[in-house]
Amino acid sequence: MNKRTTISASDEIIFNLKVLAKGKEIVRRKLAATAAKLAVTAKKLAIIAEKKEGVRRKLAITAKEKEIVRRELVMTAEKLAATAEKLAATAKEKESVRRRKLAATAEKLAATAEKLAATAREKESVRRKLAVTAAKLAATAEEKENVRRKLAVIAGELAVTAREKETVRRKLVVTAEKLKGSYETLEKKVLERTKDLEMARAKEEAVLLSIGDGLIVTDEKGGIILINKTAEKLFGVKSKEVLGKLFSEVVILVDEKGVSIPPEKHPIRMALGAGATTVAGSIYYYSRKDKTKFPMAITATPVILGGKVIGTIKVFRDITYEREIDKAKTEFVSLASHQLRTPLSTVNWYAEMLLEGDVGELNEKQKKYLGEAYRSNQRMVELVNALLDVSSLELGTFMIEPEPTDIIKLAQSVIDEQKPQIDTKKIIFSFSSGKNISLMQADPKHLRIIVQNILSNAIKYTPPGGKIRLSISLMNKNNILLKIYDTGYGIPKNQQDKIFTKLFRADNVRDKNTDGTGLGLYIVKSIVENSGGKVWFKSGGGRNKCTTFYVELPFVEVKKSEKGRSIPGRKEDTK
Amino acid sequence: MKTQKTILVIEDEKSLRSAIVDILRLKNFLTLEARNGKEGLELAFSKHPGLILLDIIMPEMDGITALNKIREDAWGKKVPIIMLTNLSETKEHPIDDAVTHYLIKSDWKLHDIVKEIEEILEIQNLEAAADKLVAIADRPTRNTK
Repeated sequence: MNKRTTISASDEIIFNLKVLAKGKEIVRRKLAATAAKLAVTAKKLAIIAEKKEGVRRKLAITAKEKEIVRRELVMTAEKLAATAEKLAATAKEKESVRRRKLAATAEKLAATAEKLAATAREKESVRRKLAVTAAKLAATAEEKENVRRKLAVIAGELAVTAREKETVRRKLVVTAEKLKGSYETLEKKVLERTKDLEMARAKEEAVLLSIGDGLIVTDEKGGIILINKTAEKLFGVKSKEVLGKLFSEVVILVDEKGVSIPPEKHPIRMALGAGATTVAGSIYYYSRKDKTKFPMAITATPVILGGKVIGTIKVFRDITYEREIDKAKTEFVSLASHQLRTPLSTVNWYAEMLLEGDVGELNEKQKKYLGEAYRSNQRMVELVNALLDVSSLELGTFMIEPEPTDIIKLAQSVIDEQKPQIDTKKIIFSFSSGKNISLMQADPKHLRIIVQNILSNAIKYTPPGGKIRLSISLMNKNNILLKIYDTGYGIPKNQQDKIFTKLFRADNVRDKNTDGTGLGLYIVKSIVENSGGKVWFKSGGGRNKCTTFYVELPFVEVKKSEKGRSIPGRKEDTK
Repeated sequence: MKTQKTILVIEDEKSLRSAIVDILRLKNFLTLEARNGKEGLELAFSKHPGLILLDIIMPEMDGITALNKIREDAWGKKVPIIMLTNLSETKEHPIDDAVTHYLIKSDWKLHDIVKEIEEILEIQNLEAAADKLVAIADRPTRNTK
């Protein structure tokens, strides 16, 4: 019984050992993977081995208590005795072997357990280290996480920026496209515009070159920079020949008599010199290479840029045709006037014979009436004469025949003629003259017209009882001055500049005196200026609107040998 | 006793011609009338008047042409000629040195014209008389009666 117990226990142990062995195998296989399990198993094994020792001892103690049972089992035990014997021997052997093996195994296990424990400890420390490392790693991970988050934020921000940049880039691309487009359009437009401008320029130049009047443009020094076709034709030059040359070298201006006009008196110089002034309308003559000349109207205008004269534009017109028309017009006036004179002469002469009593005495009434008709006719004669003088002056056919003339005598005869009017108006008249005035070379007819006109004006426009003073004196060796002062109506300030204009009559005298022609002063001025003299006046405002006319004439003294040329009795200038 | 002088009036305008002729007759002159230069020329050469009044603008022959023709003649060289016209003296119509006077009709009274004529004729008479005296003085004594 004890034996059996021992056997079953042994079996159990064997079984267990087998299991252990197996387990050890497994453990050994799994050892590498699971250090912790091994350690536990090793400990359990150690405990089990100790328990087995205790169990075995207890079994030996309780063997006697189990004697009865063992005896009941004697039969079985006897049958089994042999086997048991055998088994016992084997068992004994096996027991010792097993014991040794077990002990060895136990020792080995213990050692293994120790090792495992050590390994476990090491592992533990490794684990701890790992844990620390893990913790550290975790911390690092956290930091990294933070950094990552920050990076993520930054990345996010960057992403936003990137998106924005992308948007901007896209916009830029679009803009660039657009710019490219508009640049191309612009370029196209510029090309078109340039073309247009070139066309316009060409057109302008063509227009300038084709102007029907002559056109010359010069720079500020007078060098020709443009000449149009008409000017080329007018002056008989070619553009190529004259470009860059001085205007005054190309265009030789002469006066009516063919005397060349000095460059400083050219309209171009005057335009350049005067700056803003436009010189227009004067009549110049251009002398061609073949010495023929034609009248020309020149308008010279300075070209001003930024307040500076940078050149001139001159427009020329051949006014031969206009002059011809002018001449025809004047000739018409001359002829018409001549035709007017014939009936006037008839009326004059028959009225004269009646008034003189050549065909019998008239009664007073008849004389008076006829006298009215005669005087009116005389006025008509004067008007026609004035018209003729004007046309003659304008036509340039006014004869100038200087001869030794006694200006004092001439003036006195004019005064005598007008004495009746002076007396009628009860005008206080005085005449003074310098004593040293000798005979002078002058056209007496013209001199008479001058004195007549300014004296009769003074009488006409001075109210009754007024004063008139005429004086003639030498200004210097070369000039003589006629002065006529009156206390008349004066000349309105605002009309003083027009007083020498043809057919002009001042407002303040039109209603006072109706028989003025508006031609007198125009004729006087023309004659005076034709003779190289000057005429001007001063007329005051205020109550006393006194007027003084001044006539300055060149005084050419007659040498004794020249005297006495005049034909005796020649009187065609007498009234 | 002065002999009556003959005045030739060459004037196309009848009213003017009549007026001149009337006043001349009134002043004791003999008159000849011509209506244009051509008629005037014929009368001048055939009648040898003492003085000629000559208009300028006339049909057939104008006064200037007539004047030149008269002056070409031996007799005509010396005859006093008064241009009596309404044409103003201009550069285009200068007074010919060949005329004694140049008078504008509308500016002149008839009586003044007559005075001019008388004056000229008187001067001419005096000159003729002087010429005679000179001729007498120059004559050789043996020829003197």
